Amino acid sequence: MPQLIRLELHKLRTVRAPWVLLGLSQLLIVAGVSGLVLSSDTLRTDDAVPAALAHAGLASLFTLVLGITAVAGEYRNRTITDTFLSVPRRSRAVGAKLAAYAVAAAVFAVVNAVTALVATKVWWLAKDVPLDLGGADVWRTIAGCAAWNVAFAVIGVGVGALVRNLTAAVAAALVWIALVEGIVGQLVGDLARWLPFAAGSALGDLPGRAGDLGPVSQLAAAAALAAYAAAFALVAIGTTVRRDVT
Amino acid sequence: MTDGIRLRGLTKRFGAIEAVSDLSFSVPAGRITGFLGPNGAGKTTTLRMLLGLVAPTSGEALIGGRRYQDLEQPRRVVGAAVEAMAAHPGRRAGDHLALLAEPAGASSARIEEVLEQVGLTDARQRRVGSFSLGMRQRLGLASALLGDPAYLVLDEPANGLDPAGMAWLRRLLRDLAAEGRTVLVSSHVLSEVAQTVDDVVIINAGRLRYAGPLAELDSDGRSLEDAFLQLTTS
Repeated sequence: MPQLIRLELHKLRTVRAPWVLLGLSQLLIVAGVSGLVLSSDTLRTDDAVPAALAHAGLASLFTLVLGITAVAGEYRNRTITDTFLSVPRRSRAVGAKLAAYAVAAAVFAVVNAVTALVATKVWWLAKDVPLDLGGADVWRTIAGCAAWNVAFAVIGVGVGALVRNLTAAVAAALVWIALVEGIVGQLVGDLARWLPFAAGSALGDLPGRAGDLGPVSQLAAAAALAAYAAAFALVAIGTTVRRDVT
Repeated sequence: MTDGIRLRGLTKRFGAIEAVSDLSFSVPAGRITGFLGPNGAGKTTTLRMLLGLVAPTSGEALIGGRRYQDLEQPRRVVGAAVEAMAAHPGRRAGDHLALLAEPAGASSARIEEVLEQVGLTDARQRRVGSFSLGMRQRLGLASALLGDPAYLVLDEPANGLDPAGMAWLRRLLRDLAAEGRTVLVSSHVLSEVAQTVDDVVIINAGRLRYAGPLAELDSDGRSLEDAFLQLTTS
């Protein structure tokens, strides 16, 4: 199994998409932190630093897309045939993908966190505001963002296995986040804070989202997102094992 | 060297459509067997069932007595090239082969060897997206050869090859069969493989129409082409 995970990571390293997604994540984080700073009256509030750092979690959009490429991308490029010829026991092949993409997302998470910290540091210096990165809030936010990054990659693998058309899968995932979750949220009332993006936001401590809907502790959000990830992992394996590759 | 390939009562239904019906034939070792039929005859579906990619509705397809998915290290036993376009366009040819070499138990020296064998040594640093169809076919053959397999299953390998490439492919398959390997090659054009194959299996509309030596196909005085057309249009 470790050999199969290494093989999946090797596959990722030899194409450009993961590097592009990693680059875009950093752009998003820098733009997000800058936007927050430029639109704030003051950075001298308690939650300004976590709010800036939380943009590392928002980069989960890109780990989600990365995860979607795991299976849907292989169908698009027809490399899924070679994958299953190498590993005919498909549950092992998909299991290796789930693990490998979680590892890749963890690497994303580290880079995302560093970028968020550096961007925050630079802006606080520029605005001449003292910055304390030693607080519990800071590291809680960073850890939450990393967990969100990883969970969304695993969910993405499941989405891509379910909807094997890459374009449709990416579109469906982004439309869910941009539009559908909001609509569903209005329909389900209080339960809205447990929907995937809301749970991710709470986990990453992103203000102005889940926070408005009432208190969801970071741990509860982590549990919810872990449940989503587990469910989608099962979906990924279940849909892939029996399906004909024509 | 090997036990050959054996299909018994292989059947595949996609909804109401029966793509392959009760197909039984054997592919002996040490010979080249052409797997022929018009477009849509069920060749690709049959080969995909043989390789565990498509689940048969009934029947079985065995390679040396075992199903593909039951082989311990399938890429060391079976070299398959079933899809010429099956490579990530952004990946370099050498990386593509390196990814397949690992499960095939092939060393980096072996990668060089097969690149040399298919004439792609100079293209190893190129991204596959820039390859012509003929080059992709050669890359597919290289990946099939990596594990030095006793069985070769090739779906339309001549598609996209120029005349020199065809002659090269013919020699390559001859050499492989002469080493005792089992070689199964599909095509929808009889003339493409007539100079290459020893035996032919002809199917039409998912059913077996002929299985036997090529030489006996035209035994009643008809041309090969006429015999093939008659078997596949009636």
